[in-house]
Amino acid sequence: MNERDDQGRKRARLSPWLLLGPGMLFLFLFFFFPLYTLGRMSLSYRPSRFANPKFGWHWDNFSNAFSQYGSQFTRSFVYAALATLLALIIAYPLAYVIAFRGGRFRNILLGLVVVPFFTNFLIRTLAWKTILGDQGTVVGVLRDVGILGPTGTLLRTPLAVIGGLTYNFLPFMVLPIYVALEKIDPRLIDAARDLYSNTWRAFRKIVFPLSLPGVFAGSLLVFIPAAGDFVNAYYLGNSKTSMIGNVVQDQFLVQTDYPVAAALSFVFMAIVMVIVVIYAFILGTEDIA
Amino acid sequence: MSHRDDRIRRDQIRLARIGMSRRQFLGRGGALLGGLAIGPAVLAACGGSSGSSSSGSDKSVSISNWTSYITDQSKSDFTKDTGIKLTYTEDINDNDEYFAKIRPNLSRDQSIGRDGFVLTDWMANRMINQVKWVQPFDPAAFTNKSNLRAPLKSPGFDPTRKFSAPWASGVTGIAYNIKTTGKEIKTIQDFLDAPGTKTALTEMRDTVGLFMRSMGIDTAHPTYAKAEPAFDALEKAVNDGKIKGFNGNEYVSDLGAGNLAAAFAWSGDVAQITLDNPDVRFAVPDSGGMLWSDNFMIPKTTDKAKLATDFINFFYDPKNAAVLTAGIKYISPVEGVDAELTKMGGKAAALVNNPLVVPTDEFLATLAIFGPLDSAEEVKFDKRFSQILGSG
Repeated sequence: MNERDDQGRKRARLSPWLLLGPGMLFLFLFFFFPLYTLGRMSLSYRPSRFANPKFGWHWDNFSNAFSQYGSQFTRSFVYAALATLLALIIAYPLAYVIAFRGGRFRNILLGLVVVPFFTNFLIRTLAWKTILGDQGTVVGVLRDVGILGPTGTLLRTPLAVIGGLTYNFLPFMVLPIYVALEKIDPRLIDAARDLYSNTWRAFRKIVFPLSLPGVFAGSLLVFIPAAGDFVNAYYLGNSKTSMIGNVVQDQFLVQTDYPVAAALSFVFMAIVMVIVVIYAFILGTEDIA
Repeated sequence: MSHRDDRIRRDQIRLARIGMSRRQFLGRGGALLGGLAIGPAVLAACGGSSGSSSSGSDKSVSISNWTSYITDQSKSDFTKDTGIKLTYTEDINDNDEYFAKIRPNLSRDQSIGRDGFVLTDWMANRMINQVKWVQPFDPAAFTNKSNLRAPLKSPGFDPTRKFSAPWASGVTGIAYNIKTTGKEIKTIQDFLDAPGTKTALTEMRDTVGLFMRSMGIDTAHPTYAKAEPAFDALEKAVNDGKIKGFNGNEYVSDLGAGNLAAAFAWSGDVAQITLDNPDVRFAVPDSGGMLWSDNFMIPKTTDKAKLATDFINFFYDPKNAAVLTAGIKYISPVEGVDAELTKMGGKAAALVNNPLVVPTDEFLATLAIFGPLDSAEEVKFDKRFSQILGSG
């Protein structure tokens, strides 16, 4: 009996580690190891232009990343913030209607949000090239009503890049907000009404605070990939709308300067981390957990 | 109950909630672990070497090339005639990008899954003389090499054409949609002044070369000091919004659709667009255009040099070269193509009178090549160009 207890205890001691094992192995293989390689590369140097980089504590890669590409960093975060805000403005009412007014069409409506995203990311971005093209209907209508001048264009402007980012990452905002809203017990809203609260007040005091976890998750899911994106700026922007992703792509794929590209990626990651921590602090992780 | 027992109970409740027993969970975790262990092997197998370094006896060849650089007919003719299975991938859109793609493997003497690729003169120079990642053709298999046109026989980067054979040559000039521009374009200034959206090429030598020529700067012996005014003029055009962007082959669809008024473009692409849309025209600026060749080379890591040589040898037969030229509409490096095109009759025969496909001596005199840059100069050119592109 005691032996069996001992075995049971041993197993119990082991089980958390066994449970953690696969996840930790995955993290090690696909996160820590690449991160270590990237970190090592960011401190390397190129003995000659086409030679493989050698490790050598070259911290100047980081100072170069900061000093030379400040405008692209700033642009990336401004564009990503605007895209996140726009996605939130579009996604919240959409998720609200699907969650509270969708009824039996709820799944269909949710499907409609997701279906366009079954197509390839690149194809969706290229579709925007056609939509915003000089000969497209959108530009034609905007020129006719005088919003755009006779030679005004939409493609290859900051507006097109921010629009593309918003569109491409919209479902990442809609879905978490929907999940958060869908979990809200409608009886809470009824209770608010019973206590003489109007619709707006019930929304402000009950629905919105309870949906904050969705807003928080959605914002991060949109902001982080949008800030690092280079496809939208490449296809929908011009040389004055380049984001940090374009610089990393250029350094990796054109200049083949891997150390600088790795340093840029590290700096980007550090800035994102700081922004996320500040955001979590402002929104209060306690409330949204 | 101790804290530990308490914790175990909580774990059990959690697992029960997600509808999975601990045994199942551990079993599935083990399966995942096993999957992770074999994952890299599976991934490595997926990334495989598709007929490049495995066996020379396997009669197949894998080639990388630019888009619009072959036709289905030429591909099937090759397989029918030689019995060699062809895997043909259009994965080159930019010399630098392709270089970056193959660099990790070739710099470590590993296969890139290709037995041949086609890159522009200056990149061929880098491949042959700087990084030395290519191997010579099999001389016994390259029986049609003698058909190479005389002016292309001994470039500085490969004087005996031991490592490289031109696939096609072309001209960089200005393509424009006459409906949008409203008038013909004859100079770089006309291009900049034309209404509508205009773009230049991400290939530095083409874009900067055209600006250099418009300012009377020699492109055959380029230095950064000489080219600087051309860079300044390009930068000003970008800052003034006269050039809205830079692209590779992507300008093709935009020009056809009228979304681009004009673009720096490659002759063969425009010849192909013109077939569907006669409003699209191509002009070599009065100050001159750029002439370039793309060269077929064999990576050093393939053991199918003989089969890869068979591939290029097939297209150096004037008859096969004529079929290819009729399809892609770029200048063929093969002697005798004009006569074969005439024999083919119809649209193919008409190409003989098109200087962009069969150039006359006078036309060739308006073109110039972009000479080689040493490594230090190339860094300066690339850096400035990247800055203008907004990514440097």
